[in-house]
Amino acid sequence: MSTAGKVIKCKAAVMWEANKPFSIEEIEVAPPKAHEVRIKIVATGICRSDDHVITGGLVMPFPIILGHEAAGIVESVGQGVTSIKPGDKVIPLFVPQCGECNSCLNTKSNLCSKNDIGSSAGVMPDGTTRFTCKGKAIHHFIGTSTFTEYTVVHESAVAKIDSAAPLEKVCLIGCGFSTGYGAAVQTAKVKPGSTCAIFGLGGVGLSVVMGCKAAGASRIIAIDINKDKFAKAKELGATDCISPHDFKKPIQEVLTEMTGHGVDYSFEAIGHVDTLTAALASCNMNTGVCVMVGVPPSGSVISIDPMLLLSGRTWKGTLLGGWKMRDCIATLVSSYLEKKFNSDVLISHTLPIAKVNEGFELLRAGKSIRCVLLF
Amino acid sequence: MATSGKVIRCRAAVAWAVGKPLSVEEVEVSPPKAGEVRVKIVATGICRTDDHVLEGCFPNVVFPVIPGHEGAGIVESVGEGVTSVKPGDKVIPLCLPQCGECSFCLNPESNYCLKSHVSEPQNLLPDKTSRFTCKGKQIHHFLWVSTFAEYTVMPEYAVAKIDVAAPLDKVCLLGCGFPTGYGAAINTAKVKPGSTCAIFGLGGVGLSVVMGCKAAGASRIIAIDINKDKFAKAKELGATDCISPHDFKKPIQEVLTEMTGHGVDYSFEAIGHVDTLTAALASCNMNTGVCVMVGVPPSGSVISIDPMLLLSGRTWKGTLLGGWKMRDCIATLVSSYLEKKFNSDVLISHTLPIAKVNEGFELLRAGKSIRCVLLF
Repeated sequence: MSTAGKVIKCKAAVMWEANKPFSIEEIEVAPPKAHEVRIKIVATGICRSDDHVITGGLVMPFPIILGHEAAGIVESVGQGVTSIKPGDKVIPLFVPQCGECNSCLNTKSNLCSKNDIGSSAGVMPDGTTRFTCKGKAIHHFIGTSTFTEYTVVHESAVAKIDSAAPLEKVCLIGCGFSTGYGAAVQTAKVKPGSTCAIFGLGGVGLSVVMGCKAAGASRIIAIDINKDKFAKAKELGATDCISPHDFKKPIQEVLTEMTGHGVDYSFEAIGHVDTLTAALASCNMNTGVCVMVGVPPSGSVISIDPMLLLSGRTWKGTLLGGWKMRDCIATLVSSYLEKKFNSDVLISHTLPIAKVNEGFELLRAGKSIRCVLLF
Repeated sequence: MATSGKVIRCRAAVAWAVGKPLSVEEVEVSPPKAGEVRVKIVATGICRTDDHVLEGCFPNVVFPVIPGHEGAGIVESVGEGVTSVKPGDKVIPLCLPQCGECSFCLNPESNYCLKSHVSEPQNLLPDKTSRFTCKGKQIHHFLWVSTFAEYTVMPEYAVAKIDVAAPLDKVCLLGCGFPTGYGAAINTAKVKPGSTCAIFGLGGVGLSVVMGCKAAGASRIIAIDINKDKFAKAKELGATDCISPHDFKKPIQEVLTEMTGHGVDYSFEAIGHVDTLTAALASCNMNTGVCVMVGVPPSGSVISIDPMLLLSGRTWKGTLLGGWKMRDCIATLVSSYLEKKFNSDVLISHTLPIAKVNEGFELLRAGKSIRCVLLF
């Protein structure tokens, strides 16, 4: 492309400091260095984790370009990049897959050690950033940064997808859909005929519902205090929808009574310590599996009675649904094209990038599931 | 037997009140009712859980009580309708019963029979009466089995027949400590060959975990205890490294992570302290690690953790009695013992007559014993 090798000036939603609205700015995006890829972002979803950065629940350096759930087209590649070429449709990966570290070499693991989730440095692997705005360096967000017309990511953090994929729909496979669906089919490994309970019916929770349904669960109990969320949950396979506010007794007692001995699999897709504990207590005391999917704010502490585990329960967490992203994203997109699941149902709103703040307001007000921003 | 159908007068170690030493008394043991079995206990181990009972930190225990739950003996008589055992059979009483009818017994993955203590306290037999009296008072059962009594009575589904060749003073440990630890490794964690393991706590259960990890083919077995006297047996049973947290300034989970690169594949906590429970969780690989809670914390304990420990991908699970369905499995475990597939005898550090039961508990509390077996 004619922009190859040059700095690109483009639009981006910059978060200058915590707890402020986004600022739509003109930024400069440097060309990709060796083993990096510059991507023209076409569509990006708004995820609760982006909001956690704004509110301080997820600690990242400012100023920063957020967004991590997107799809786009490769504009240019740096030296040494062989797996991707300009024009390819791609999804950036906030959990990379370098293929060389212990995690990548372990078939069961998906937490490549090149991830920037733990260290939160906000830079490219070489320690520098590709973004500037008004003379200042702007940080990257967990190796992705998709609230920008052009972004630069490491080659290990991008996956090529089917050229027929509609980017404004498959962007959700970059985070929300895969996280929830994978929690059910990979992490919990829900068995046919089993009973499931899902706490939280946002984009991720609804994807858990889809995963439980795909896995053949016989009973899928969807739980949220916002009853507006029930309709989509039922559409996607929930057999029961309940709100804890409708009961005097704790929700885990309600669920235990509904199912006799608690559910086989419970999922928490909110990130609140109270519901995390309730979800654990809701699964069968001896054979139950509880999966922590939602990201609690940093500094959270969960306190439990150890008997909850000693009786035999299994408690596990999962990032990105356990998928090795580079291996699995293309397959998930193909499954989307084959209509094996209907993640489109998660898209409640579509807005231009200029209306990013409105998109976040919808999320905070509980009025949206996934709002997709278009460039 | 001549005692069949009659009350038996015999010795038992009775706990009259919380915090008091056991009292070896003469007790009266009623004959078994329908569906019950009366067993002459030959040998019984002292387990930390019995100590929790004496301290008052085991839930729903009613005093006065006859503790003990890890024993082996011979059937003296059976009540009406009992078919699976007969007088003269060698048996192990089961502190975790297996009724065979509840949803957990019917689930092949589960061992948590609904007749067990957490679901329904086992201070009295299913008909809500006790078979023990002493000095005119009703004495409660412990987990029904009450093996600190020379004769005890339990439901048929809380006792299992074992090989006639089994030495009762050795296989009594298969009633609790050994299967709990061994099963934690092979059933609950399902340790894989070549993997790395860390075991916190080298008492009877912890050492049994070491044996299980070794049997499963772990390549590295790191045994952890603040009492270095425990290291010798751990090494004998397969530990490749023995470390004490007191020898390091940094937290033990950091030590273990550095020793192994990314944390162990499997960690086990066989003590029941909230601090080591958290350290054990943090010691296993952040994305693929499995941590098994084996030790029973005192009732009222609370564990507090950073949820990121789990969110990164760790698995945390608990286990009772090593996941074994006891009635199904105990006979096979005893047979494996006779075939020398494992050496649980190493766990027996002391053998004492029942009259010296309090000395046995002193040895446990002082960290000087592993398993003390009491003989009648």
